[in-house]
Amino acid sequence: MDFISNQNPQIQEMLQALGISDVTELFQAIPAHLRLPRPSEEDGLSESEGMRLMEKLAAKNSYPQFDNYLGAGAYEHHVSPLVGAICSKSEFLTAYTPYQAEASQGLLQITFEFQSAICALTGLDVANASLYDGASACAEAMLMALRCRNERTKVIVPDSLHPHYRAVIEQYLTSHKIKVEKNFHFDENSAAVIVQYPNFFGRIEDVKSVFAQAKAAGALCILVANPLVYGLFSSAADLGADIAVGDGQPFGLPLQYGGPYVGYMACKQELVRQMPGRIVGETVDTEGKRGFVLTLQAREQHIRREKATSNICTNQALAALACLIGITWYGKQGLPKLALTNYQRAHYLCDNLKKIKGLKEGGNEPFFNEFVMIWDRPLDKVLKHFRAHGIEPGLDLSRFYPLKNHLLVAVTEAKTKEQLDRYIRVAQECQA
Amino acid sequence: MTKTLFEKNQGDQHAYSLPKEDKAFSSFTPPQNLLRQTPLHLPEVSEIDLMRHFSNLAKRNVGIDTQFYPLGSCTMKYNPRVNEWAASLLGFTRTHPLAPESAVQGNLQILFELLQMLCEISGMTAGTLLPNAGAQGEFVGLRLISAYHQKRGDLRDEVLIPDNAHGTNPATAAMTGYKVLTIRSNSEGDIDLDHLRSLCSAKTAALMLTNPNTLGIFSPNIIEIAKIVHDHGGLLYYDGANLNPLLNIVRPGEMGFDVMHINLHKTFSTPHGGGGPGAGPVLCNAKLEKFLPLPKVELKEGVYNLVWDDPASIGRVASFHGNFGILLRAYLYIKLHGHFGLRRIGEVSVLNANYLKQRLSAFLKVPYRQPCMHEFVVQADQFLDKGIKALDIAKRLLDYGVYAPTIYFPLIVKECMLIEPTESESKQTLDEFIEILKAIVHEIETNPELVRNAPHTMPVTRLDETLAAKKPKLKQ
Amino acid sequence: MKYTDSHEWIEQSEHVATVGVTEFAQKELGDIVYVELPKVGKTLRAGEAAAVLESTKAAADVYAPASGTILEVNPALAQTPELVNQSPEAQGWLFKIKLSNPLELDKLLDLNAYRNKVTH
Repeated sequence: MDFISNQNPQIQEMLQALGISDVTELFQAIPAHLRLPRPSEEDGLSESEGMRLMEKLAAKNSYPQFDNYLGAGAYEHHVSPLVGAICSKSEFLTAYTPYQAEASQGLLQITFEFQSAICALTGLDVANASLYDGASACAEAMLMALRCRNERTKVIVPDSLHPHYRAVIEQYLTSHKIKVEKNFHFDENSAAVIVQYPNFFGRIEDVKSVFAQAKAAGALCILVANPLVYGLFSSAADLGADIAVGDGQPFGLPLQYGGPYVGYMACKQELVRQMPGRIVGETVDTEGKRGFVLTLQAREQHIRREKATSNICTNQALAALACLIGITWYGKQGLPKLALTNYQRAHYLCDNLKKIKGLKEGGNEPFFNEFVMIWDRPLDKVLKHFRAHGIEPGLDLSRFYPLKNHLLVAVTEAKTKEQLDRYIRVAQECQA
Repeated sequence: MTKTLFEKNQGDQHAYSLPKEDKAFSSFTPPQNLLRQTPLHLPEVSEIDLMRHFSNLAKRNVGIDTQFYPLGSCTMKYNPRVNEWAASLLGFTRTHPLAPESAVQGNLQILFELLQMLCEISGMTAGTLLPNAGAQGEFVGLRLISAYHQKRGDLRDEVLIPDNAHGTNPATAAMTGYKVLTIRSNSEGDIDLDHLRSLCSAKTAALMLTNPNTLGIFSPNIIEIAKIVHDHGGLLYYDGANLNPLLNIVRPGEMGFDVMHINLHKTFSTPHGGGGPGAGPVLCNAKLEKFLPLPKVELKEGVYNLVWDDPASIGRVASFHGNFGILLRAYLYIKLHGHFGLRRIGEVSVLNANYLKQRLSAFLKVPYRQPCMHEFVVQADQFLDKGIKALDIAKRLLDYGVYAPTIYFPLIVKECMLIEPTESESKQTLDEFIEILKAIVHEIETNPELVRNAPHTMPVTRLDETLAAKKPKLKQ
Repeated sequence: MKYTDSHEWIEQSEHVATVGVTEFAQKELGDIVYVELPKVGKTLRAGEAAAVLESTKAAADVYAPASGTILEVNPALAQTPELVNQSPEAQGWLFKIKLSNPLELDKLLDLNAYRNKVTH
């Protein structure tokens, strides 16, 4: 099938208006030897065939049947059907970038509200309309910090930052002559430091102290966080961050095999002109009515071209809407409760697993909703055992670090006590 | 007066529900010294009020579903609902990006086959689906080019870009550490070949080009352009934003391009969503294959696997696998069309554009007379003596229930309007658009004030952008 | 006062010169919303980008008409960038530069030459 309206009667009329007999006459500028022949047979699928195909492919994924304890930057939270009901509205789903502001007040206001929500969570002054994902948000934050400290040539990226995020930062820094260091040693050449909160292992590091050292050396402080953590623990502003980034996926976005998610960025007021991405501001119309527009556009690629703060154009607008709905569905009272129950369920599981012979907790700093469990036997046997019981128990960290038998376990409000008790039982069986 | 969600607070009201707390959990209290000290300024709104709030915002917005959207260079075609249905299947939404490969064979099959289909469509041999948008695709493409030259020990630090290119091109070149040299266009709107020859050198890493160009014109000199760049050892990057008219008619890889990106949210109907999420897959030929980013999907003896490590690769470019939900929409779109349907898209998108151009040229200035591809430029500078600019015409179109075409792009045409109808639109819609523009031209003659102060029927009149930039108010 | 092809003016007073943009330039740019000024102490070559004038729709580079070191930038522009529109050749001055080679000014346009350029 296709979605083309015009059929032969209209096509003939249009060809006549153009004074030609076949549409291929319009393609004469294309060198003849490059032009492909017109296919003679319909080889597409009908809508129902297409739907059956997708159902079959979805059924080839056995993963949805497992209890999922994987985290590492993508978390399984409850997503209210309200999110889909709003995001699927025609005027949001099928709209484009709000360049004609008068016809786009809906999406502009939504973006303003998303920016406000991110500022509320992080405690910082301004936020942008979104970036692609957590990894690119980190990379953009690093580039931004380097623009703000353009005489300095060193940045600090610790090993406790998500390995994928680290790799993308390095990708974006490739052409810049910047030295990337791992340890928190600051000097007058340090442009910025980035710390993850909680870090990749789920642990809360002493961010305040690291940032204080950074500031003493004049370096910028970047905090990358699961935004849910701000419902329970100190905000980015409280910790002294200059730029806060991360992925908003935990709010309103299902796992979807890794995307679309939504990168967020917020920063202190004085840095706003170096912030990449679209920004929406409030203003008035000719009659004094409140309205919203894209603003500070002189930073962006369509105006500044090679001098732009970033090349970003299309971002993650609809995913940002989903995230906004996810955040406001919980709201001022619900969000702290959501964060707390995440914390408590994860600690319940960790606490009970620690009691099992041969299992050890990896790390002793406080954690949020993710922790490392160290086993006394090879993980491939452990994983096999759990999977036979329909549980994916966590992420084997040996792929990312020289750590044997370390499992990264994420627990959210989506796990009931029954599920957690089952995990514990299966672990006990494994160790018996 | 419109209120934001943050202004609709009513103490203790909320939408959420959480499972009842179990005693077993309550003994775990977080350390006091880590707790958030500053208040959390989020709204307190019930679910019905959340729903109303966003429903009313929808009424203050428009989309392809509600009206004609001839935004040049954006390909605003119909977003099929069957794609939305497919993307919401739990079999896809409940898969974690780090799930064991054996448990996500359906996802990996989609990724593998989509890449194969895009390779065929583009005339390339390999690629990646990781970039989250066209601009990120450009970044990956230039990174591949950079890796290629670096491997050969060839220091090249310049990228050539036509003056009518989309802003992301020079911005991406700068992001990847290249110096931008701008190539002039000739009076046909095509690249000035002499200027290209003079700028091309042993320092040229690449030429970034879109064909058809941003005026909607297919460059008949593409073979010659490719030769000039390749003779100097440079590579040819294709900005796939304008791929729609070429579907199953010609392949960029066969025109001489070495690497390209495709905008799935343009050519392959994935919804624009008000500005994303999109996807910008990159396709390349054998020269650049080995540098493609990670992870890659391979098929071995009927089983799909992910390749996580490859020393030749440029490495990672995204958190996980890119915008998978967008990729699967494009997959279904291509399957539904087949080769036959894709060809129809190419042909009808070009027919619709040329028909519109022909009919509009009767009363509007069309600076480039040769057959266009999927889009064309109308120039509105003849109305300047009535005090009317392209901007004013765009705003007046909103009153007529049509989204304005792209204005002031490309930069080389004064008072420019770039019109792209796409293959979705019926002749009736096109004819109505023609009548609307006729009416507006008549208004310019008889009542220019009406056009100059448009729009009159939108939720707001023209907005004070100067105030928004001078005194930015960026959050509640 | 001397002028450049890129619509800057420069007024010399011994070894110090004041730089701004012309009436023509401010009209072309529209409402200026922000001015990015160079750091005091920065050395610039003639023709190097020194400042940026931002309107809502454009960002224009301002080039140093002559080589030297930045001595002072206009403090009023942070709060009132619109001075560049209102009085581009007086109160809307951008920066003061200590000239390293005053002879460079001889190569620039005088008022008549600049007026000619602008009207053609």
